[in-house]
Amino acid sequence: MTTESADVVIIGGGIIGMATAYYLAKLGSDVVVVEKGEIAGGTSSKCDGNILAIDKEPGFDSQMSLESQKLVSQLVMELDEEFEYRAPGSILVCESDEEMEAAEMWVNRQKEVGLPFRMLDRGEIRSEWKYMADDIHGGLECATDSTVNPVLLTYSMAVTAERLGARLKTHTWVTGIRLDPSGAVEGVETSSGLIRTKHVVNAAGVWSKPIAQMVGIEIPVEPRKGHILVSSRTESIGTRKVMEFSYLMSKFGKERKVDQLTEQYGVALVFEPTASQNFLIGSSREFVGFDMKINVDVIRCIARRAIRFFPVMKDIPVLRSYCGLRPWTPDHLPIVSRVEEVPGFYIAAGHEGDGISLAAITGKVMSECITGQETTISIEPLHYNRFKKEAGKR
Amino acid sequence: MRHVNEGYIVCRCEEVTGKQLEDAYLLGAITSRQLKMKTRATMGACQGRVCRQLVNLWLSKKDQCADKGVEPLSYRTPIRLVTFGELAGEE
Repeated sequence: MTTESADVVIIGGGIIGMATAYYLAKLGSDVVVVEKGEIAGGTSSKCDGNILAIDKEPGFDSQMSLESQKLVSQLVMELDEEFEYRAPGSILVCESDEEMEAAEMWVNRQKEVGLPFRMLDRGEIRSEWKYMADDIHGGLECATDSTVNPVLLTYSMAVTAERLGARLKTHTWVTGIRLDPSGAVEGVETSSGLIRTKHVVNAAGVWSKPIAQMVGIEIPVEPRKGHILVSSRTESIGTRKVMEFSYLMSKFGKERKVDQLTEQYGVALVFEPTASQNFLIGSSREFVGFDMKINVDVIRCIARRAIRFFPVMKDIPVLRSYCGLRPWTPDHLPIVSRVEEVPGFYIAAGHEGDGISLAAITGKVMSECITGQETTISIEPLHYNRFKKEAGKR
Repeated sequence: MRHVNEGYIVCRCEEVTGKQLEDAYLLGAITSRQLKMKTRATMGACQGRVCRQLVNLWLSKKDQCADKGVEPLSYRTPIRLVTFGELAGEE
């Protein structure tokens, strides 16, 4: 057992923790990251990889993604290793006139807050997507959406942070957080010893709730499971991300016109071509605790949904499937916040399926918040206080 | 003369060479999982049936303590190749 010290200890070596470590190290802070497994060993490697504004609520949420997109395009230059960055935009497609009307409202609201959205008619969809089912009514596009390999981005932030002086302690568990008599943070107890520090960032994703409980704070972050299928290498089906419009309904828990299993498992089409000439197919959303086993019924349902939009996939082999746990919050916004009751304790967690999208902006504002600078965007809407009453009731 | 071992293929499906493993290792990929993520070894059509042992062997020769106590490379459903159509239950 050893004792060391640091300006900031970050709990969690996923993409949120590593982004925070990178931006803090860049500002000259002495940072230690404590990770119970490997870097990007949890949710950050069991997901797809996009920096999307298209699926964010128009206004604060979508602008936050736009800021993250700008930061990620700069990270291409700043970080030591490449991470398969591309910015081809992304689209949503509609199955009915009703969805087209809702899509038009979505586009108008996004345009009002300054985002590069536009409607796509049936002809435009057909000319870009020759394998798409021919009963698709049209869709919409966000021109700035970008894509990355989330594991390589996390690794790249990790090696760059290390070069800037950050220390990464993998396979190390947090066993407690030590407070001084006034209730402020004074250290983090780990399986390999004490780290003295006045600042702790809880970036533990789906495990952030028990970490917060260590200092008597309740946060409503719950694991929500999602499955993804990987195709074998194949002729290109499409060159950018496409999702079905009713993915938004699934994401925000609204009613959809789909069969019972599709509804139950929260299945909605997500198609994502990768840099390795195959594609990923999602998605599902379920509350089943920390169960990480593949549910064959769910991946069957995802495959059916994929074929509904891309009949050609019927004959394309599935290489593998995987699933991950997304850190859900009740209002679909992350918690990026200081905690007034415990001076020195910060939370950067609860990004659900937006962790890759929002990692850069989250890390940036966390670093600014901890070092007492003005934040790039206002983080007031992300304050943990908004859940205080609700969490207290549990 | 080119080093004899440099270009030998470890992962046939993704065409990953010993040299690529070496380069990734030198850049900090020191577990089999990190080697996989950096080079795509074991991620191709056969899902590591051919190369999983080779990657582990290569790594254990590099560092006898490598991967001790670390989560081993996983096996993913479906175990045999099926099409999206077969999975969906269509003919």
